[in-house]
Amino acid sequence: MQRSFIARNPSVLLFPALLALFTLVVTVLSEGFGVGVISTSFVKTLGKTLCLCLVAVAMDLVWGFTGILSLGHFAFFGIGGYMIGMWLMYERTRLIVVQSLSQAEIPPTPTEVVDAIGNQIFGVVGSSEFPWIWGFADSLFLQLILVVLVPGLLALVFGWLAFRSRVAGVYLSILTQAMTLALALYLFQNDSGLRGNNGLSGLQNLPNVSAPQAVVSLWFFWGSAFALAIGYLLAAWLVSGKFGSVIRGIRDNEARVRFLGYSVEIYKLTIFTLTAMIAGIAGALYYPQAGIINPAEIAPIASIYLAVWVAIGGRGRLYGAVIGAAFVSLLSTWFTGGQAPDIPLGFYTIKLVDWWLVLLGLSFVGVTLFAPKGMGGLVDLWTARRTPNRHGADLGPDAGSLREQEAKQ
Amino acid sequence: MSALLEVSGVSVSFDGFRAINNLSFRIGAAEMRAVIGPNGAGKTTFMDVVTGKTRPDEGHVLWGEKSQSLLTMSEAKIAQAGVGRKFQKPTVFEDQTVEENLLMALRKPRGWFAVLAYRPSEHDLERVVELAKEIGLSDALTRKSGELSHGQKQWLEIGMLLAQEPRLLLVDEPAAGMTPAEREQTTAILVEAAKTRAVVVVEHDMEFVRRLNCKVTVLHEGAVLAEGSLDHVTSNQDVIDVYLGR
Repeated sequence: MQRSFIARNPSVLLFPALLALFTLVVTVLSEGFGVGVISTSFVKTLGKTLCLCLVAVAMDLVWGFTGILSLGHFAFFGIGGYMIGMWLMYERTRLIVVQSLSQAEIPPTPTEVVDAIGNQIFGVVGSSEFPWIWGFADSLFLQLILVVLVPGLLALVFGWLAFRSRVAGVYLSILTQAMTLALALYLFQNDSGLRGNNGLSGLQNLPNVSAPQAVVSLWFFWGSAFALAIGYLLAAWLVSGKFGSVIRGIRDNEARVRFLGYSVEIYKLTIFTLTAMIAGIAGALYYPQAGIINPAEIAPIASIYLAVWVAIGGRGRLYGAVIGAAFVSLLSTWFTGGQAPDIPLGFYTIKLVDWWLVLLGLSFVGVTLFAPKGMGGLVDLWTARRTPNRHGADLGPDAGSLREQEAKQ
Repeated sequence: MSALLEVSGVSVSFDGFRAINNLSFRIGAAEMRAVIGPNGAGKTTFMDVVTGKTRPDEGHVLWGEKSQSLLTMSEAKIAQAGVGRKFQKPTVFEDQTVEENLLMALRKPRGWFAVLAYRPSEHDLERVVELAKEIGLSDALTRKSGELSHGQKQWLEIGMLLAQEPRLLLVDEPAAGMTPAEREQTTAILVEAAKTRAVVVVEHDMEFVRRLNCKVTVLHEGAVLAEGSLDHVTSNQDVIDVYLGR
């Protein structure tokens, strides 16, 4: 009766296999490997796409499986990026400063080095002091811990306050939007300590690494693919067992789960915090490939895009989230990159660069109305996994005690 | 016999409307009780109070040998303490199989970490098969519960309640929408359950209550109007006036 984990979830084998194949093909065709069919910038685009797929898997866990429509998970993604960005920027600036100061006749004191770094980093916002949040920026190890710790803690505190007060549904969505907006607005300030709207830049240059970008881009591509594979397996394991039963139960009927004796709030908090951490890791892999992070990245709209990807890909199935994120974000790159040809109508020329968002919006509405299962629903067509045929709906007072067949006669 | 559940002087009002007015009720550890009353008599609100969904304005709800107050506990804690509830409409998790539904209800640690690490043991699976047999769903274990008929969903929910091994079962209109044969089996399951635990059945259908053959509490306008055997309460003039006579 109980089949093995893999038998119940065939995508657990299939997905990493396909991902490995994809990684291999891209690697062989990349500039870093010497063939050069795929440009370095496109390798970066693909690597970033994998990170977006990972955060989409997190979104699917929290929305598709637990039913919490969080419109704030891109904030956690951005925080992850900021955390790794602080170390990258600090360390690279330190190396430059140490090198230039070594030309001086008197060797610089440690304080002088730190001051010079501060001057370099914060000169752009008219300051030279290190804010306290940069306290651990000199340690890669500590910043890597902060990549998961800061999003996790923020999600824990926010989630605790929201779930404890039984805020749910659209009210929770609005609250998470408010959270991202507040965070973005705070980071836009010059005295927030993270260089205001300049953000952190030059993140693609790894300190102490002399390898060309063509090779570095591959490293990050591999790292992103690995993280996505692990994230996918973790998510598949989470939703497969009794824990998965409980969170899907919370999605479908919260009160019933509560009367079974499960503390719904704790479960929501667990999944909210965990997915925030996954989003943080995805962000930490994304922004070194993007090269720059600024507060505009965590604007509320970004989190809404995330929900759109998952909806278009198909909620409640992990591969759906991956397909949606990859498909829509790559398509978006293609359209906004100006590669899509303009459509002349004679009286008006449709520039797809401008009209892409309208297209995306319409397809979102279309998917919501006509294909609630999204692109993942296509998979059902050939696995013939169908929605339960909901017989036994309430027949009403007149025929209430009849069986369905009897009532129809 | 000491009471398992003792509700005393409980009042609940919603926006000035008194749904429950100074209600007192007690039930022993292994007892069947039917609660009847016209619509709006406060039957469902009474269950909401006991299960922690609604907080009363005044009164006490005491539980178990230690006379613990249920009023300060969360719904989940009350359920863990041994109060099981069946809703009026069958509420099972339609997207999941009968087996998953039952496994979720089995009496096991409810913390998230314990649940994450949980893998069903042989014994658990046997228990699920046993329960499925009891509720007549042996052949349906791997079916999605959304595919079941209305009556089967009702039974599945009763099965989930039994899997919880509660000490007090609150059952809201279990026979609604059932065929006569299904009613008979439901009666049998409930009577069997009442041998080892307390069962409170809210029901409209007098015929069904008669078959349960137990003490009856009549609610009216949020308070107890009469209590006793079915014959006793049906011969009570007040009861005839407000309920049966209509």
